[in-house]
Amino acid sequence: MLDLLWLVPALPLLGFLALFATEGKLPDKLVAVIGAGTVGIAALVALFAGREFLQSGEPSFSLSLWTWIAVADFQPSITLYLDALSLVMMGVITGVGFLIHLYATGYMWKDHQEPASYSRFFAYMNLFVFAMLMLVLGDNLLVLFLGWEGVGLCSYLLIGFYHRDAANGYAARKAFVVTRVGDTAFALGLFLLFRELGSLEIQQALAASSALTPCMATAICLLLLGGAVGKSAQVPLQTWLPDAMAGPTPVSALIHAATMVTAGVYLIARMQDLYLLSANAQHYVAVVGLATLLIASFTALTQRDIKRILAYSTMSQIGYMFMALGVGAWSAAIFHLMTHAFFKALLFLASGSVILALHHEQDIFKMGGLWKKLPVPFWSMAIGSGALVALPFVTSGFYSKDAILLTAYDTSGWLYWGGGVLAAGLTALYTTRMMVITFFGDAKTEPHEDSRINMWLPLAVLGVLSIVGGWFGIGVLDELLGGLGDFSHASPVAVVTMAVPLLGILLGVLVFSGRIDVAGFVESKAGDALRRFFDSGWAFDWLYERVFVKPFLWLARVNKGDVVDLIYTLTKSITRGLHHTGALTQTGRLRWYAANMAIGLIVVLLLAAGWL
Amino acid sequence: MAISVPVEHVLYVAALLFLMGLAGVLARRNVMFLLMSLEVMMNAAGLAFIAAGAKWGQPDGQIMFMLILALAAAEVAVALGLVLQLSRRYGTLDVDSASELSG
Repeated sequence: MLDLLWLVPALPLLGFLALFATEGKLPDKLVAVIGAGTVGIAALVALFAGREFLQSGEPSFSLSLWTWIAVADFQPSITLYLDALSLVMMGVITGVGFLIHLYATGYMWKDHQEPASYSRFFAYMNLFVFAMLMLVLGDNLLVLFLGWEGVGLCSYLLIGFYHRDAANGYAARKAFVVTRVGDTAFALGLFLLFRELGSLEIQQALAASSALTPCMATAICLLLLGGAVGKSAQVPLQTWLPDAMAGPTPVSALIHAATMVTAGVYLIARMQDLYLLSANAQHYVAVVGLATLLIASFTALTQRDIKRILAYSTMSQIGYMFMALGVGAWSAAIFHLMTHAFFKALLFLASGSVILALHHEQDIFKMGGLWKKLPVPFWSMAIGSGALVALPFVTSGFYSKDAILLTAYDTSGWLYWGGGVLAAGLTALYTTRMMVITFFGDAKTEPHEDSRINMWLPLAVLGVLSIVGGWFGIGVLDELLGGLGDFSHASPVAVVTMAVPLLGILLGVLVFSGRIDVAGFVESKAGDALRRFFDSGWAFDWLYERVFVKPFLWLARVNKGDVVDLIYTLTKSITRGLHHTGALTQTGRLRWYAANMAIGLIVVLLLAAGWL
Repeated sequence: MAISVPVEHVLYVAALLFLMGLAGVLARRNVMFLLMSLEVMMNAAGLAFIAAGAKWGQPDGQIMFMLILALAAAEVAVALGLVLQLSRRYGTLDVDSASELSG
């Protein structure tokens, strides 16, 4: 079965090719079977291959498929590499990916606007799963980069899926361009790594990396961090993620919550040995994580759009993972990546059901009182929210977040732990706000729900995973990755870590159900300014608009005629001028030619006689 | 050999004939006159060959003149075809009327 590992990425690619080649002419039911089925079979293959891999007891398994390019010493091979890290990632991508595909067969059924777009949607989704699998299974940084750009492309295509609305196209372009900034840094990092070590094979490069000078190691790590920051929507390249919510909700769940945005975490975890060489670079990883964590948490407090709340919450949870990587809690980061994939996918899918039931209403202040009318989405959201705020002992989020915060306290002291705990409190606050305003209070819009099994089954499975994924996952991952050993839940630090989210929930319930009156502060001038500041995502868009977009547009306007091109236009003009002058002598008149010949002859004779 | 003409004089005549022919080629528009002027120019060249051959007592000059005669005959054969075409297509013998091939 392990030799069939190549089937895991090949099946989604096959699905993509089938849907792409038929150009939407297949009946929608067949499209659903192909779209979700290929990913489902890939998940099964991944499951069996993973079980066999675990039974074999080997630390890693690699399957060489073929050599991509062969130029002298540069021979990148297409090799699938399976170890504990890529096994977890492959499981998340195919498993959660299949559940989201299954959900999407129902969601997009009601939601596609054009005849062929149902097929187009699944073609892109399958291509995405293929690219993401190449990203995590590739044993060569070049293959990883191929997957990296592939998921970026699919993200672009799916954010702009409803392309009739120009705003969605703008959001797609924004996501593409902003992540491209990070990708450029990533590519530069790869060039530098190749120049220094002469190989892009990950395992070889990591083994040889101790030969790097500290300065060079830091430079490479920071450039790779640049790529990770762009892809994972961390400060300062985080502005694209909230706008990316323009895509269909299953896309937000799969790409912008569970898998693609965690590619940065995977990259840093994969290049762990490199980061261990540079304490500075590792420190920056933690700083980026902590900054994003706090900025995103505050921003989520003021958002009105349910998907944007979840987007900012995704940013902050990935901030936790970056912080974990930065403080050396590698396994905790991957553990949180896994549990986050479960509960955030659940939250997005449940919110998708709510949005669909309310006919594309996304403003939480226009919802309310839905808990009785939409029981399945409500309970799904409740379980997901519980995991997000890390309710002690019963949810998966608790185990992973605890592992991060307690390791941070052990290795890096109170700063990162304190920041993380503060953000955990804020997470509890904004999650409670979202739940209270969406599902309780007065009903403002009448829902129409008709969920079929293909929509509620994924929610149920993800709900179960969001609960049991914690205590079940911690054992499995501890065995695979190590470093998740026993944390004492009785120490004062652990108790505070546990209590803060509960306090957050309590505060949230009191404030947002109106038992504590905060209207005075919110409506005051300072309160309003603060609210608008948070609402704009700490004014990053405002700043970038002025620092980058406006100057660039100004430059583009000024340079409309293309200054550099003037040189070439000039060459062209001179050539054309000479041509026209030369053409003037061609009059077509016989006598004119004869006269010129005579004159020429005279000149030649005079020259020969030496008179000229 | 009764009267001996200095070779310079013959060459002067030849040059004069050549220039007259050239002036005719450049000035006349009627293709028939143009061809006749060309003939004059060729005969000027032939005269110069004869004079030079006589001066050095060599037969080459006369041979060249015979070549020129053959050349003139060939040229006339081609040129008359052109004259016929010109008159047929343009209805005139004016060479300037056939000037479409311009840049």
